Amino acid sequence: MVDQLPNLGREDEMLAVMGMTSIDDLFTDIPEHVRRVEPLDLPPPQTEEEILREARMLLDMNISVDSRPSFLGAGLYSNYVPTMVPMLATRGEFLTAYTPYQPEVSQGMLQAMWEFQTMVSELVGLPVSNVSMYDASTAAAEALTCAVRVHDRKAAQKLTIYVSELVPPHRMSVIHNYTQGAEIVIKTLPHDADGMLDLTATAAAEGACAVYVEQPNALGLLDSGLCQLKSIIGENTALVVGVQPVSLGLVAPPGDYGADIVVGEGQPFGIGPTAGGPIYGLFACSQPYIRQMPGRIVGLSRDSEGERAFTLTLSTREQHIRRHRATSNICSNETLIALMGAMHMALLGPEGLETLARRNAGACAATKVAVLALDGVESVHPNGTHFNEFAIRLPRPSADLLSFLDEECDITGGLDLSQWWPERKNELLVCATDQIDAEDIEELAEGIQDWLEGYE
Amino acid sequence: MSDLFAFNGAQGAGYAQPKPISEAFTIPVDLQRSKLPRWPRASEPEIVRHYTWLSTRSHGIDSGFYPLGSCTMKHNPRVNERIVQMPGMNDLHALAPASHLQGLMAIFHEMQEMLAHCAGMDTVTLQPVAGAQGEFTAMRCIQEYHREIGQSNRDKVIVPDSAHGTNPASAAMCGYDIIEIPSLENGRLDLDALRAVVGDDTAAMMVTNPSTLGIFEPEIAEASEIVHAAGGQMYYDGANFNAILGKTNPGLMGFDAVHYNLHKTFSQPHGGGGPGAGPIGVKEHLSDYLPAPLVVADEDEEGEIWFDWYSPPKSIGKVQQWHGNSGATVRAWAFYRRYGCDLEKMSEHAVLNANYLRHRIMNPSQEVLNQIHAMPIDGAPADVVKHEFTLSMTPVKDVTGVTGKDMAKRLLDYGYMAPTLYFPMIVPECLMFEPTETESKDAIDQFADDFLHILTEDPELVKTAPHDTPVKRVDEVWAARNLILRHPCDGE
Repeated sequence: MVDQLPNLGREDEMLAVMGMTSIDDLFTDIPEHVRRVEPLDLPPPQTEEEILREARMLLDMNISVDSRPSFLGAGLYSNYVPTMVPMLATRGEFLTAYTPYQPEVSQGMLQAMWEFQTMVSELVGLPVSNVSMYDASTAAAEALTCAVRVHDRKAAQKLTIYVSELVPPHRMSVIHNYTQGAEIVIKTLPHDADGMLDLTATAAAEGACAVYVEQPNALGLLDSGLCQLKSIIGENTALVVGVQPVSLGLVAPPGDYGADIVVGEGQPFGIGPTAGGPIYGLFACSQPYIRQMPGRIVGLSRDSEGERAFTLTLSTREQHIRRHRATSNICSNETLIALMGAMHMALLGPEGLETLARRNAGACAATKVAVLALDGVESVHPNGTHFNEFAIRLPRPSADLLSFLDEECDITGGLDLSQWWPERKNELLVCATDQIDAEDIEELAEGIQDWLEGYE
Repeated sequence: MSDLFAFNGAQGAGYAQPKPISEAFTIPVDLQRSKLPRWPRASEPEIVRHYTWLSTRSHGIDSGFYPLGSCTMKHNPRVNERIVQMPGMNDLHALAPASHLQGLMAIFHEMQEMLAHCAGMDTVTLQPVAGAQGEFTAMRCIQEYHREIGQSNRDKVIVPDSAHGTNPASAAMCGYDIIEIPSLENGRLDLDALRAVVGDDTAAMMVTNPSTLGIFEPEIAEASEIVHAAGGQMYYDGANFNAILGKTNPGLMGFDAVHYNLHKTFSQPHGGGGPGAGPIGVKEHLSDYLPAPLVVADEDEEGEIWFDWYSPPKSIGKVQQWHGNSGATVRAWAFYRRYGCDLEKMSEHAVLNANYLRHRIMNPSQEVLNQIHAMPIDGAPADVVKHEFTLSMTPVKDVTGVTGKDMAKRLLDYGYMAPTLYFPMIVPECLMFEPTETESKDAIDQFADDFLHILTEDPELVKTAPHDTPVKRVDEVWAARNLILRHPCDGE
């Protein structure tokens, strides 16, 4: 018998108060013709101990990025989350609360989210952040629909957005799903052989509603050309920039080079890659977009005695008020994970962020040097500056190298780029975060060397 | 008062890290950050105390009774948290080969099967990360299905006026026009109103059952027939699934697609607003359109089960970049294993508790009744309700001037979270109560007594509530007018 129901054994007493004799009396309103005939065909209840034992057995079958050298990034990053973070964030008052609809008893979470908004705002260089989106892809998609709502009326290119051709296909798929309903036309922006955005081609985006680019891009490249983008596309076209937030410890915040909306994957702050969820999307914007932005926003206010207090604000954008005219359907978001992110950011502090970014850049640089020193391995972008990840070209399909590293060396080697772009079948995306050390790099280089020799 | 941005200690006061393994990197000159973000500079003890203080100014289920209707705020078993923090879960990469994720995929597969079985659906995807995203995903599948069979003219989605706001918002995001139909006087679905609007432009109808009034729709099967006869699809909003497990299912009611709220029915903690998880289940004719990938089980020659990813042939693609909120799926798995076939008992107790609370509030003793200024009335007439119910405070407001909002605020003084306020919109001065199955009879009795007691209190005391909370009534208008959305960080 399940052990979670406090009123087991008290059913008759409660039913009697209502003048009933059986639980069935409570279900007389379900018409006969839609009732279930057979009971649920599910196993008997298990105890906590049994569940834990089975969970351990199942999770032990997984091979995690922390259990071996792992060079797989591609949008989810191995990181170290300080012990304090999960311990504090899972305090019951945070963990088991709902959306703070009653601000008088939710000041703690509201203040924490207001502080989160502040830290994100500082990080990306824009004045306003929301309380989180589901992930980087939905944040990007909703940034684009938000930009269309703001700019379409005056746009020369109606319902048109331009997206970098290097946005990975799974993120593009989310963007497509979120934009097709509004009949938004997506055009792509090309890159040159160095992986830099082709700035002459971006002139085509003038008069469109939005441009979406990423910094670093999906191949790990930092592109200083993006600093000129806003002046090319003009005031009436939103510049939306996707970021890897850790990079912003070294890299200029997009708000400084004209971004109107910044989105990204918050995950490296606060939580491990956790198989891709729950993580959280960052969403920050400049003033003209505030009333069209999606998601929850916390504002400072005062109570009836004039004391400082926090509350959800701008709710009239949201689905529970505006229904089908809402700026988004988002209701549940990723607040708890954003709270973990806030705790992590607060503990790092400004200099801690810079150190973390240096560790990531350093690990990437050291890995690149070691791998490119191998005969037979070429850089796909030899002139590029990389953060976290870089693409290499191999003499044989990268899928083959990945199997070899996995099976022979216990190394997770990276992403076979043909999974994203079929023509890149000999290319491998290698990622090194702060969790990679010199020994890991040596093992990777040796593994690749062995694989290369095996073919000669 | 603890202010995070007032912490401005020495550089490196916080968290010490290992040194970079190399300094031989460059950042292009134009892209170098000139000024670090003005984040706090604090030590671990200061940060721990700050967030602990904040937690004391928050209210969760752990703090007290949380009868927030429509949100199913049930107890969150703690072993579920322990499991998702174990190695082999939070350190998994979504793009790792399937051979690295076999344990996780086993859990996914079991959850797909279990959820399909409970709802009478054929195929389940775990990818949508919230109920609203589940709605959106299912409506996208329906949209592609209609395009595929040459019926892209179907551009209208019907919702009752009692629907959650996410229903019309999600359908509108797909590009549908929304037709809202009024409910009957008694809050039930109006089939004549439905007949009047269905047609060959109907894409789907979205229905919550039990409805947002906590009432089982007596003519739900007939509504499905009407929509199907017009060639439309039936969508089940699973927000209230907690009421019916083992008793009936959306498949039996005639639905083609459903979403599940793992953060309601299956106890994924709400975390102050999320994460949630909103898997969807569909009947066979929609299965090929689900987002990719799903988990399938294969058997090798030696009889070993092997799990693999599968992309449905006409998939709409992705709605979240990875595999949805995997951590929520794993917590929900642990929750489901705790109950197993007793999920039916869970629903029975959810319904028992709701009816008991309703009875206790609406039937005060004569002695208490004599002191009450005015009693609320049922939001909708019903012999029995399901897992939640609504009350209208209109009579109380008429007699004393105390509004539903005032009642809600006064309940906070007693250590309770307020019921859902002013929803559904069709009930004036509405309060919606959902005790869930994890409240004891004693807790429910105490809440009912306290609620009735408030009805006897000096109306001025109630109108100026709350009095005993960390802050007094918050001025939401001031917040919206002034829009102070971040700390100025000018303490440096």
